[in-house]
Parts: sequence; structure tokens; C-alpha cells
Amino acid sequence: MICLFCAVLICFTFSSCQKGMDEADSSPEVNLQALWEIIDQHYCFLDYKAEEIGLDWNAIRSTYLGKLSPQMSRTQLFEVLCQMLSELRDGHVNLYSSADVGRNWSWKEDYPDNLNTEVRDEYLGTDYKIAAGLKYKILDDNIGYILYESFQNGFGEGNLDDVIYYMRLCNGLIIDVRSNSGGFLTYAERFSSRFTNEKILVGYNSHKTGPGHNDFSKPEPEYLKPSEGVRWQKNVIVLTNRACFSSTNTFVRNMKECPLVTILGDKTGGGGGMPFTSEIPIGWSVRFSACPSYDARMQQIEFGIDPDVTCSLDCKDVENGHDTLIDTARQMLSE
Amino acid sequence: MGRIRLLMYVLCGLFYPFFLSAQRDAAHALMFGQGGSNQFDTYLSPMEYKGSQFTFLRETLRMTQRAKERLSFQSLTQGTFSMTENPAQNANEYGGHIGYNAGWHYNWMLRERLRLMAGGLLGADAGFLYNERNGNNPAQARLKADMALSLAGIYKFRLRRQVLALRYQADLPLMGCMFSPQYGQSYWEISQGNRDHNVCFTSPGNALSLRQLFTLDFPVRRFTIRTGYFSDIRQSHVNGIKMHDISRSFLIGFVRHFSIIQDKERKEELIL
Repeated sequence: MICLFCAVLICFTFSSCQKGMDEADSSPEVNLQALWEIIDQHYCFLDYKAEEIGLDWNAIRSTYLGKLSPQMSRTQLFEVLCQMLSELRDGHVNLYSSADVGRNWSWKEDYPDNLNTEVRDEYLGTDYKIAAGLKYKILDDNIGYILYESFQNGFGEGNLDDVIYYMRLCNGLIIDVRSNSGGFLTYAERFSSRFTNEKILVGYNSHKTGPGHNDFSKPEPEYLKPSEGVRWQKNVIVLTNRACFSSTNTFVRNMKECPLVTILGDKTGGGGGMPFTSEIPIGWSVRFSACPSYDARMQQIEFGIDPDVTCSLDCKDVENGHDTLIDTARQMLSE
Repeated sequence: MGRIRLLMYVLCGLFYPFFLSAQRDAAHALMFGQGGSNQFDTYLSPMEYKGSQFTFLRETLRMTQRAKERLSFQSLTQGTFSMTENPAQNANEYGGHIGYNAGWHYNWMLRERLRLMAGGLLGADAGFLYNERNGNNPAQARLKADMALSLAGIYKFRLRRQVLALRYQADLPLMGCMFSPQYGQSYWEISQGNRDHNVCFTSPGNALSLRQLFTLDFPVRRFTIRTGYFSDIRQSHVNGIKMHDISRSFLIGFVRHFSIIQDKERKEELIL
């Protein structure tokens, strides 16, 4: 045993340990290779996007290596790396340098907004109430209206109790999450738990178990438990557009499984993968989708969730100071 | 699970004599150290983070009456806090852990001045590593328990009528268990109750680690001062996640001796 111990000591002295990259390196090829490997080994939608949009990650490596030159500036390298990441068409994929954030926001930029904030603000007026991140008001036709602009802005169970209790006599409720680009999953779960009286299956989630493109754990069911606070018992309409992303996408997924809830508007922007962060030798950090989530039928939600009722903002309505989606929702809830 | 249960039985068995033994000579030491740290964890980053760290060590070493007074008991409490940065020097990681090790050594006296010790230590350790700019994977929790082979040598010598003690100790974990998320598993998922091989069996095959302590004790008036060098190398490769936590420190502290018989001439006989 002592000999073994001494052998281990000697091994420790002369052999290598678990090693990482230990030097900053600004060479274009090293950084592109490091970035490509991070995505290759950790990104969770490579196979799915190969099927859906014909993504060939191996071919992309060769293509973008060909765009490098040893003399290129940091700015030029940043542009090439961002172009490479843009091939993933994922709003959760970003490259961060001290000067810029690389992004592909085609999930919202390529589609109509279906939102005019000036018109929407007229519905709220100036006498609306604010409960943490929630703005709310009872409209003239006794329909409750909640505007939630970001899942980054938190709220507590007490806030929800107060808001729902305040609207208890309303004929219906509109939850406007248009252009809410996400934030904390906790709030998505907390909010949606007010609209079910039973534990319901809302989706599945999974994670990678290795570097292979198809190395995934068995999908675990995700249940939504009814809140112990005040729960809404009437019809609800959730307003969506293409800028509903990430946690908002998850909120819409959950709400779609709740009874008495209708999703109205445009398809959501997607963002079905929980993002992780890593970095490359030049010091830029990279964010990427790492853990996929699915809907209750095990379908991908990475490219968005279809509404129950498709509705677009009408330019003429906007000119007249009306929001087509809010008006349609009010009409549906009043019927 | 069987191997983990076996480990628990071994842990209980090894601690049992601790409660039965009577104390004879004992040395209590408290040491503080500062040195370098190298952190690497592929769950957080593929880069190695380097910087400084602070350590404290509290050690108790005492002889017992067991095995014809050749069995000594040692306990070691260790705490470390590190601050490191990536090679590009634009991101930081903060880490810390606290651990407790205790066990027994069989003692051989060679040429009166040289004491060789061999035995085993049981340890448990909890800590964290936090990367300040990561999003949904900002930190890694560190929890482990293990059983280590421990070898030590203590050499006492006189210098200008004073008794000095030189000691080297190396501890090599042989088996244990540790917590680790799965390769791409988020802590949010774990918090939802989704487990996936999060408690892993460890051995030198997947978690080759080594702790080394080199100290010199010398008296200054009524006190005994201890200086030393402490090297703690922890590694693992479980669930596809590679990590190392390497810290090396220079230590300084003091030692307090306790003995049933108060006799200055016996100072050389004391364990440390």
C-alpha cells in the first residue's frame, strides 16, 4: 500500500491533472474552435434544428474557419463568431464582448409587433394600479386587465392575492404579456398556478447527459400545482405576440393547459431551452440553450407556441386609438 | 447505493474508537495561510481561473492508550476561501469550502527521534464555486465524503537547546462519494426534484486527489510556533464534468501542548 501511495505521489508530481485552457488567447482560429466545441458539446437543439431548418453544425465549422485570417481585428473576429452563432437562430444564444452583444433576434424582428405601446397605454390610463411587476386595471366593461411587461420584474404570492381579489367581480380577465421577453421561470410558474384548481401536466424538461448531439436524459414531466392563494375561476385571455420569449413562452405553455384560458394574438417567439453560460479564451462569454423543455404533448416549443385564436393588430384600429387584440379579447369575454 | 452504504458502515466503525479512547499527550494547532488557487470546472467554464486564497487549519493530534500506546488520533478542520480570475482577466470566480477530517494512525518510533505514522482519515467537505457572470449555471455546489489513506513522518531534533519538530503528512482519498449535477443539468431542475446520478462514487480512478502538509514547529519563549506549506489538490471527472481545485498555501500558527505529566524533559517524547 505504501508503495502504491508513493507511486501516486510520483504520478502527481510528474503527470497532468484535469486540465482546462489556462491562457488567454486572441487568435481567431483558437477562439472559433473553442466556441464551436462549446456549442457542439452543450447546445441542446442541434439535432432538432438539423431537421427543422437544415442546420449542419459540422459544415458550419469549415465555412467559418474559411472566413478567418490571422490579421483580423477583434471586432472582425467578433462579427464572424456572431455570424456563426446566428446560424442557430436562437434568441438564447449570445456572444458578449466588452463592446457589443452578438444576437439573432429574427424570432421577433422578422414579424409584425402586433403591439402599439402608446395605444395600449391609453387603455391603462393614469389611474391603474401597480403590484410589484404587475400593472392592472378594471376596464369600463368590467373586464380585468393585467399588463406584465417582464418576467425579470418579480412579484410575490401576496401581490397576486391582492390583484385577483380586486378583480373578483369582473366578468373576465385579460393578461397582456406581449413583448415580454422573459426572465425568471419561478414567476411564470407562480402566476400560472392561479388558474388551475388541479395539478396538471404542463410539459416536460430534459438535460444533456454527455457531449453527443443526442445525449439527453429521460424527459421528466413538469406539473403545475394549484396555488394555495386566491385562484381565478372565470374566463381568461392571454395576449401574445412574436416577442413573447423564454419564460414568457413557458408561461404561455402553462396557461394553455389551464381550463378557461384562451391564448389570443400571434405565435410566441419561442426560446424553449434554458440557457447556460460559458466562455472562450479571448474572454468573451457565450450564452446558449442547454436544457430543452417541451409542451404537455412532448412537442418542441423552441420555435414558439401557436395561439388558440390568431389575431393581428389592425392599422385602422391603431389610427382610431384602439388595440385590436384587447378589443377582441373584451368582446370574447363579454359574450 | 450499496457502495455508499458500505462506506457509511466503514465511517461509523472508524469513528467508534474515538469515543472510547482516553487522552494522553495531545497537540492542538491553529494555522492560517495564504497562497495561490487554481479553479477549473467545466460546468462553469472551460478556462482555468487563477488567483489567491486564504486558508485556516485547526488540528488536533494526540496519543491514545490503544494498541500499546501506538495509536494516535488526528482531527483536521479546514476552511478555504478563494478569489480567482479567468486568463483574460475579465471575469471572477469566488470559492470556498469547509471540511472536517478525523482518523487514526499507527505509530512507529525509529531511532527515538523519527516517528512514522500510517493510518486512515475520514472526511466530509462542503463548499461552492461561484462564477459572477454566468446566468443559469452561476455556481457549483461541492459536497463530498471520503476515506483517505494517510501517511506521516515526524522528525524531532535539537537546535540551540531547543526542540524542533519537522513533519510531513500526505493524505490520499481512496473511496468516497460526492455530489455533482449531471453533465448539462441545471440546479433549477434539481430543485424541482429531478435527480440524475447526482451522488457519485469516487475513487482515485475518477477523483484523484491529494492533501500534503509540511510543517516546522519551533518554540519561542513559552509558545510553540508552527510554519508550514499546505498543498490541497482536488480533482474529479464525474458525470462528464471535469474539475480541479488546487490550492497551495504558506501557513503560520501556533501549537498548544497538553500532557498528563508536566515535565520539561518529556518534551521530546511528546507527539509534536
